Amino acid sequence: MPRAARDFLRVGVPVVLLFALLPLFYQNELLLFNFVLFLILTQGLNAVYGFTGYLPFGYVGFFGAGAYGFALAVMHLAAPPLLALLLAGLAGVVLGLILTPLLRLSGAYFAIANLAAAQMVYQIIANPALADITKGPYGVSLASVFAPRASYAVALVILAFVLGLVAWLRHGRFGLALQAMRDDPVSAAMAGIPVLRGRVVAWLLSALIAGLAGGVFAWHISVFYPETAFDISISIFAIVFTLFGGAATLTGPIAGVLVLYGLYNVIGISVPQYFQLIYGALIVGLVLFLPRGFASLLSRRGIDVP
Amino acid sequence: MLLHALLGGVVFGCYFTLIGLGLNLVFGVMRIVNLAHGDVLMLGSFAAYFLFHLAALSPLSAAPLIVIGFFLLGLPFYYLVVPRLAASRDAEMLSFILFFGVQQIIEALAAIAFGSSERSIPARVLGIGAVHLWGQSLPRAWVISALVALAAVLALYLYLYHTRLGLLTRAVMASREEARASGIDIHRVSAIAFGIGLALAGLAGVFAPFMLGSITPAMGSTINLAAFAVIVVGTLGNPLGTVLGGLVYGVGLLMMQTYLSAWADLLPNLLLILVLLVRPSGLLGRRVRLA
Amino acid sequence: MSPEPLLEIAGLVKRFGGFRALDGVSFSLGPGEVLGLVGPNGSGKTTCINVISGLYAPDGGEMRFAGRPLGGNAMHRRARLGINRTFQSPRPFASLSVRQNVELAAFYGHAEGPRADIPALLASLDLDSLAPRRAEDLNSAQQKLLDLARALATAPRLLLVDELAAGLNPAELARMAERLRALARGGMALLVVEHLLGFLESVTDRVIVMNAGREIFEGDLSAAVRHPEVVRVFLGSDHAG
Repeated sequence: MPRAARDFLRVGVPVVLLFALLPLFYQNELLLFNFVLFLILTQGLNAVYGFTGYLPFGYVGFFGAGAYGFALAVMHLAAPPLLALLLAGLAGVVLGLILTPLLRLSGAYFAIANLAAAQMVYQIIANPALADITKGPYGVSLASVFAPRASYAVALVILAFVLGLVAWLRHGRFGLALQAMRDDPVSAAMAGIPVLRGRVVAWLLSALIAGLAGGVFAWHISVFYPETAFDISISIFAIVFTLFGGAATLTGPIAGVLVLYGLYNVIGISVPQYFQLIYGALIVGLVLFLPRGFASLLSRRGIDVP
Repeated sequence: MLLHALLGGVVFGCYFTLIGLGLNLVFGVMRIVNLAHGDVLMLGSFAAYFLFHLAALSPLSAAPLIVIGFFLLGLPFYYLVVPRLAASRDAEMLSFILFFGVQQIIEALAAIAFGSSERSIPARVLGIGAVHLWGQSLPRAWVISALVALAAVLALYLYLYHTRLGLLTRAVMASREEARASGIDIHRVSAIAFGIGLALAGLAGVFAPFMLGSITPAMGSTINLAAFAVIVVGTLGNPLGTVLGGLVYGVGLLMMQTYLSAWADLLPNLLLILVLLVRPSGLLGRRVRLA
Repeated sequence: MSPEPLLEIAGLVKRFGGFRALDGVSFSLGPGEVLGLVGPNGSGKTTCINVISGLYAPDGGEMRFAGRPLGGNAMHRRARLGINRTFQSPRPFASLSVRQNVELAAFYGHAEGPRADIPALLASLDLDSLAPRRAEDLNSAQQKLLDLARALATAPRLLLVDELAAGLNPAELARMAERLRALARGGMALLVVEHLLGFLESVTDRVIVMNAGREIFEGDLSAAVRHPEVVRVFLGSDHAG
């Protein structure tokens, strides 16, 4: 069996099954949904940061674009939810295409420009001048399509897709080529790898994932405001969860979500500053002492972390 | 109206120069993006606030204390963190993420310590009445803030071009490797530049209550984006180019607020992205930072 | 020289700011031929390789490969056309295994014909026992061999070799020279930048001596060391031996 399929069966399938079964035992379905959502977003960010080295600080922009893509499709086209969800994914991809020139920038410049771009999308959508189309700052209500069970199930399908994608990126030839150009773009090009095209494909894939996540979020929650859909903490959480477990692995980001988002729900919601303090300190500690996340503690000892 | 917007824009531009100045110096010397810059500025604002309300010190007297204090804070912080990072494989990206963590820590601690209510210093402490220029009247606090900003630019210029340490600093800015090879203690030069960067952020913070409105622990991230826009427009790594970026930004901001007020918030982001895409080396620039 | 040159360079110019790293370099190279590039540090040897391999765009001059203009082809296209290189300080894909490094190059960099026999290639460079190791765990001499293996996996017609010999011991040097000669006997054209003149002597058919971005001599290495301008340029240089 190819290693990607083996990793997916060992790690991906159990995670999806776990979250498929948990609603039978645990009543707070919104919390479970949020876990699934962060698992999707964290792996989507991992797909671009872990495998290309580009840190999309404004990753939430694609999520918000997806949420509003879904909402606009429902409000103005009366689209059925699944069609609206596809349009949400499309909205993420289109935004990704528009921002493709940012990939010309390196490192921190890319991260900052991406953050500014996400903010701009937010400022445009939330602008009262566009209230006729987007409902501006007043938020949208999609009660007509509200279906928590169905949207939860679809979120699990998206999760399975993204876990499979990351497993494939780790072991498949395309993913290895991405890792090669992350390690050294010059020698990757000399090995015949089309560097620019590879980056763009990874970038659009991760934009698609965030767009779908935004769409399924809009469907599940059905009433939301631009500040919720474009909340910068969504980017920040996804980054911290990825760094914590270890980028470019399948299990690392999952562990990051389960541990840190679990911790957040225990202490974070009542006193968010304390959680912010903890993850700020975590970031500093990780960068200084464990830049490849907790997974590297194991892989350094020769244990293969899927 | 146009003249007022232009004049106000220039005044604001001087102040935005001050906001970007320290960030650009740190970038120029260390190739590090200090994402906590806006939060250091916020701390400067709170320092000025408490010195005024608890010690009855006017912002103009508090400013030198804050500048010295922040400079002294910067030195140990540099030695604790930066040399360690410089050795790693992707120093630029890692330092970016690290300073993002520092930003989160500062913001959280400030929120815990100060609460999230909006605070201000009354503008009358900088003098009452407006300043009249070419028939336009501008608030006195604006003009004083702009003059302080210009003094800071002048001081930095004198440091860089008329002191020995400044000469070494410019050598490190030109090429870290060659400066190291020719025996310059780059960590000493960098630590001092880092301290100056924090001092300039603190100084900008002192006048933030008059220029940016009320102060809160969360104001840092917004300021960061404005500061980045300013230094990217005015050429990254060239501290004195910041002046051009600040003026473009200030005039642009007041023009947008006057004629297109609904979309004025878009300005920093729009400027940042356009310049990065069209002319990533900045308006004066020669350094191109492409992947 | 063969009647049908593989690589033709005419009047190549590359400037960095005001500094002319290449100032009108011209030469040609045929299949099976080994050309050495010598000169003091900063004379433009590596820049020459960087321009031919597509890392830098030239500011003037012409390059033709197999009769076609080369300019405008991105690096990965040049790799597929049959141009490849090693790097002065090795640039492996650090987080991938040695075998993955070579397999990627064989897959992406190979235009036509049968795929490289990767196990045989690794064995021929003594990398077979290291195949499952991560490239970053190799020492620098091994990483240089990996660079070479990756370049060869693309089955190049023109190989640009940038200081492969530095750090090798005499026995390894002799084996490396024999490997390069064998590649040339198989029809590959080689451009070899090297400081070690003894090594060059055993590998090259002729050399070009460069100084300040210009050629000052072209011909036999043994004649070069007696050429007055060459002697002048090398006197006082650390690398004359």
